Amino acid sequence: MHETSIVNSIMRTLEQQFETEKLNKMKVIHLKVGILSNIEPRLLYNAYEASHMMNPKYQNVQLKIEMTELKIQCEFCDHITDVEKYRFICDKCEKPSKNVIQGEEMLIHKVEFND
Amino acid sequence: MIEKSTKAARGTVQCENTNINLLKANDFVADIIKKEMAKTKTLLINITSSAGSGKTTLMQKTAQKLKDKITMAVMVGDLETERDADRIRETGIQALQIVTGGICHLEAQMIHQVLDQFDLPNIDLLFIENVGNLVCPSSFDLGEDYRVTLMATTEGDDKPKKYPKMFLTSDMMLVSKADLLPYVPFSVEAVIKDAREVNYEIEVLQVASTTGEGIDEWCDWLLEKIEQKKG
Repeated sequence: MHETSIVNSIMRTLEQQFETEKLNKMKVIHLKVGILSNIEPRLLYNAYEASHMMNPKYQNVQLKIEMTELKIQCEFCDHITDVEKYRFICDKCEKPSKNVIQGEEMLIHKVEFND
Repeated sequence: MIEKSTKAARGTVQCENTNINLLKANDFVADIIKKEMAKTKTLLINITSSAGSGKTTLMQKTAQKLKDKITMAVMVGDLETERDADRIRETGIQALQIVTGGICHLEAQMIHQVLDQFDLPNIDLLFIENVGNLVCPSSFDLGEDYRVTLMATTEGDDKPKKYPKMFLTSDMMLVSKADLLPYVPFSVEAVIKDAREVNYEIEVLQVASTTGEGIDEWCDWLLEKIEQKKG
């Protein structure tokens, strides 16, 4: 059910963002989602396909999802660590950090339109 | 001479970098709730956990302890039935059931829709008892001041690493059903270690709603936060 809510939210957001004329030319929606976002791309693709059954308006618009890995940046030494096994600890100075710089995103990153 | 075409190129693709949050609609409403609560100085707490880890029992116990000192109310989300709200009402406080009809989490819009059912200027503490689920509710900001996650000893001590987003976004972890510790293979030390590896700032309390263990500390924490909110 979570994925359906997200698809609805994406379409609602785009409809607020762009004029109808532009929406009709929409070609590809690019999402950027982090590992921490709890979004499972396959389920989201399915929910997106399913949404066309209710509302076929956007059935020719492609959805592309890019997943990003988890990274933190240390507040003390500025070192960037790739977080593995959800250990939020700087691998240079061993200090804990909550400063997530990548991996939490849930973004409509880019929208492509036909001319 | 050939007229130069001034028409826009055809067949090309126009691109707009948007970088809009997927949950922009939700976060917009969460902000409205936050402002409302700042105005009425009501402390808003979002309680999350797996299903069956004792959220409703904790609400009952908290109501019994605090209802003579402060005014508190609860809104509780479930997929179906009015059962949890009924249980909380038995303690004599206002409780409102939000039936999500199959949706696995509460969204800011659902909270905002029912806010006018509460006399907010006269409520010190408003709990949102979220749908029992450690996954989806973690993504939806409800405009709360604090997020508190229950972690029952009967669930196993491996949850913080399995559901990191929830523990990363929580301010407090309550290890609940602590009275059952002698009977279950659960290490409080291990769960705290894992939770702090995800979120080093998370506060931890150990509670048992049925025996009353840790309930005083929990209520003191709430009273302190209410004081802070009142400024």
